[in-house]
Amino acid sequence: MAVSSPSFRRRSLPRDARDTLFLLAVILWTVLPHVGHLPPWCIALTGLVLVWRAHLAFTNAPLPPRWLPIAALATATALTLLSFRTLFGKDPGVTMAVVLMALKTLELRARRDAFVVFFLGFFLVLTHFLYSQSIGVAAAMLVSVWGLLTALVLAHLPVGQPSLKQAGSLALRTAALGAPIMVLLFVMFPRIGPLWGVPQAGLAGTGLSNSMNLGSVGELAVDERIAMRVRFPDRSVPGQRLYFRGPVLTRFDGVLWTPLSIDYPLPIRTDPLVTTGAGVRYEITLEPASLPLLPLLEATPDAPSLDGIEARRREDLGWALSRLTRDRLRFTAVAFPEYQLNQGTLTDRQRQQTLQLPDGVAPRTRAWAEAFRARPDLVSATPAQLAAALFRHIRTDQYTYTLTPGVYGEADSRAAIDEFWLDRKQGFCEHFAASFVVVMRSLGVPARIVTGYQGAEAPDGEGWRVVRHSNAHAWAEYWQEDLGWVRADPTAAVAPDRIFSSRNLRPTPGFAGGALATLSPDLLPQLRSLWESLDNRWNQWVLNYSRGQQLDALARLGIESPSWQDLAKLLVLTLSGLALVGVAWAWWDRQRQDPWQRQAAAVAGQLRRLGLPALPHQPPRQLAGEVREKFGPPGEPLAALLMVAEHQRYGRAALARPSRAWLATLRTEARRLLRTTSPR
Amino acid sequence: MPAAALRARFQPLLHPVVATRQRFRAWWQQRLPRTDTQVLTQRNIYILPSRAGLMFGATVIVLLLASINYQLNLGYVLTFLLAGSGLVSMHLTHNTLRGLTLQLRPPKPSFAGSPVVMDVTLGSTGPARYGIGLRTESGSADSLTWINVEAGGQAHAQVSFVPLRRGLHAMPVLTVETRFPLGLFRAWSVWRPAATVLVYPQPEHPPAPLPPSHTSPSDTATARRVSDGGEVEGIRNYRRGDPLKLVVWKKAARYLETGGDLVSRDTSTAARHELWLDWQHCAGLPPEERLSRLAAWVQVAERGHARHGLRLPGLEIPPAHGEDHQRRCLEGLALWQ
Repeated sequence: MAVSSPSFRRRSLPRDARDTLFLLAVILWTVLPHVGHLPPWCIALTGLVLVWRAHLAFTNAPLPPRWLPIAALATATALTLLSFRTLFGKDPGVTMAVVLMALKTLELRARRDAFVVFFLGFFLVLTHFLYSQSIGVAAAMLVSVWGLLTALVLAHLPVGQPSLKQAGSLALRTAALGAPIMVLLFVMFPRIGPLWGVPQAGLAGTGLSNSMNLGSVGELAVDERIAMRVRFPDRSVPGQRLYFRGPVLTRFDGVLWTPLSIDYPLPIRTDPLVTTGAGVRYEITLEPASLPLLPLLEATPDAPSLDGIEARRREDLGWALSRLTRDRLRFTAVAFPEYQLNQGTLTDRQRQQTLQLPDGVAPRTRAWAEAFRARPDLVSATPAQLAAALFRHIRTDQYTYTLTPGVYGEADSRAAIDEFWLDRKQGFCEHFAASFVVVMRSLGVPARIVTGYQGAEAPDGEGWRVVRHSNAHAWAEYWQEDLGWVRADPTAAVAPDRIFSSRNLRPTPGFAGGALATLSPDLLPQLRSLWESLDNRWNQWVLNYSRGQQLDALARLGIESPSWQDLAKLLVLTLSGLALVGVAWAWWDRQRQDPWQRQAAAVAGQLRRLGLPALPHQPPRQLAGEVREKFGPPGEPLAALLMVAEHQRYGRAALARPSRAWLATLRTEARRLLRTTSPR
Repeated sequence: MPAAALRARFQPLLHPVVATRQRFRAWWQQRLPRTDTQVLTQRNIYILPSRAGLMFGATVIVLLLASINYQLNLGYVLTFLLAGSGLVSMHLTHNTLRGLTLQLRPPKPSFAGSPVVMDVTLGSTGPARYGIGLRTESGSADSLTWINVEAGGQAHAQVSFVPLRRGLHAMPVLTVETRFPLGLFRAWSVWRPAATVLVYPQPEHPPAPLPPSHTSPSDTATARRVSDGGEVEGIRNYRRGDPLKLVVWKKAARYLETGGDLVSRDTSTAARHELWLDWQHCAGLPPEERLSRLAAWVQVAERGHARHGLRLPGLEIPPAHGEDHQRRCLEGLALWQ
């Protein structure tokens, strides 16, 4: 009868095997979210090793010889080099850490090995935050840390077979007691910038692009992630006025639109900006982006104050950052919706750049523009009149707005604009913007494409309005002598909905979403907004917590012009204060009288009230004898109580500390005796 | 022995660090009061980070550097959670010992070369305490006896040590330690129990043949028993060459069970003969080995229910038998100068 039921086998598993299996499960849980970032061979190797180790634990088989993990590690190093061409950097580092962790489980011989696994585990937990710091990842990693601490506690419960539940609750208790220290350090530890190295591009996910060819914004359109949140504390601003300026694409090589320069620092010279009317104050919480720029509301003339990063205005009114951001940026700025940029001035160089069209690009569109210009009503038209006429053309000539226009320029990429403008007439914002600029330039009007975000969702309870990557938009600007640069959004001409209701480009819901929507049409948006407001709080209070907030708090405490050094001082002071409290307590605890002496003094006091001398050196047994002698049978209960004290102090089951309940009983009894024996 | 003595003598020269440490430890322990009931308080508990604790500290620093460099707020959360837990674990480790009462039960005498069991009672008034290890101070770290103490309860632990020489021994210094809950800190306390244990000489193994016994006319009890039963009651250890019919099988079975030897009916010595175990019988041996042989003889004679007396220079215990008599004889041997 070698067969036994699985449950029986699990129950009879020896402790060592059970602890090892638990640790393997924790490791698996910790490694699992990395699967998307690991090369396939690493997943296979890790899985194989963990399964093998579990099998060894089940069968209580000996561990493999030492050369095996070492050989496997050498192979893994070679494979990592092959996969990434380097051992340094995020992905290769994580790959090596995962492999190391898995192979170390094959070496759990001494307690020291186990510690290496635990500490590698904590390190692996951190690596997840390099990819994402969302609530979900945080929750999963909290479970990991709990599991690792539980395994650590389990290793220090050497007696018997403690249950996982017991070890888990002990680990939880330790972590819970440590939580106040965590909160204190989190709040007060000064946030200093990176000590070395600079975050690399391309880590923070997609955002606005620094270049455009027809199709790239279409990919962004289905990206429902949040790009930023905006809030207007003073007055509300309609969605159609929300243009957040990103890269301005001026240079056109026939296929690709690119900015004039993307470098930082930028030329000092900026185009003259004149603002009229009242400003609008706004707050923005910007998610980490893959481009070092600030999409500010048009037109924001002054730099918002940012923490540790410098923002500079480009000559084209865009805002560049001195470096990429890994954490969320939160700032306040003032925008002036009415502004004039480059009014009356345009250098020859700028004129040449904004009129430039490569030869052989969109020949039919350019011919069409010649004919357009030759129309009698437009011969002497201003740029603004030309733009209005083009808008009319777009509205009346069966252009349609669609997210799935198909591919343009398949045969000849230089003819993409011709195909759109003259043949198929189906597209989204960037098709319209690019064609508009090409036509305007053909008409001799300086024009350029502006990309950025347009619109925002309705405000939530706290006034925050979400701007998603799907709000990414492309529009155009043309220049007229007396107006400067004028915004022209040709998409508004064909799909005013897209602009006026500031509805973003939302893809059709998936199957599950569809089912939910049929069940209750409001449920899905409600759940979504609930989750997003939760996510926003998480961002505001946890992830976005930065030096700015720390210094604000210091300023509120009354410190003038606080710096991070003040913060460090405050932290050191707080910690020293807490340590001093601890020392004082320890000192008090040391100086405290021996509790037995205190009890003896209390007992002696009671007996003296009864008229007994009760000298300090007399043990309870002697006192009991004196009580019996003096009071006879009525004193017997008191004498018995004293004998109990004798046993509590000196007997076999002696207590470490005197019992308070006993003293209370003795007091009652002594009072009773005093009453009954005192002369009436 | 001389080699060991030489090594001991020249150790300060060979290993100055080890020797200094030993001398410091000895001096330190001399300062500790001897007591059979020890309450662990802040005054007598020491705590230091363990090697794993130092590793943990290094890990936390690496995590902190990574969090700073990559500006990971969740990394800060993780780092500070671990730092907080580690700090709290220091107090938990200390608290595991603080307030613990250690009591030593009076130990039973033992023979040199065989372990003496120290029975320690651990009492706790506070919450449950886990993972408390006890060992003699000189024992290796692997020789820890692990024990848990329930909340407000008591637990018993046994620690043994092997005395090498006879005589009245002080109990060895005990170390009580714990690394619970995370193993980042080791808290320990050193306890010098006041109790002493009597160690008898190590019995010679295998025991030499018993010396011949003499007739004792005064011993009427045995004589009467012999005449009443008509049987010879004298029993001695089995000797090579004894005929099988002389083996007392019933008793032999019992002795074999308890680790003794076969016993034979002693036909040559009548039961009324009494046995003197005399220092002079072991002539030619060094004194300690004589004592070992005498201790073995006392055991054999007692097992054989033979009346036996012990004669040492300056000590004479008249013949008798029984547990008390044996103890008296062994004590005499243990304490003989």
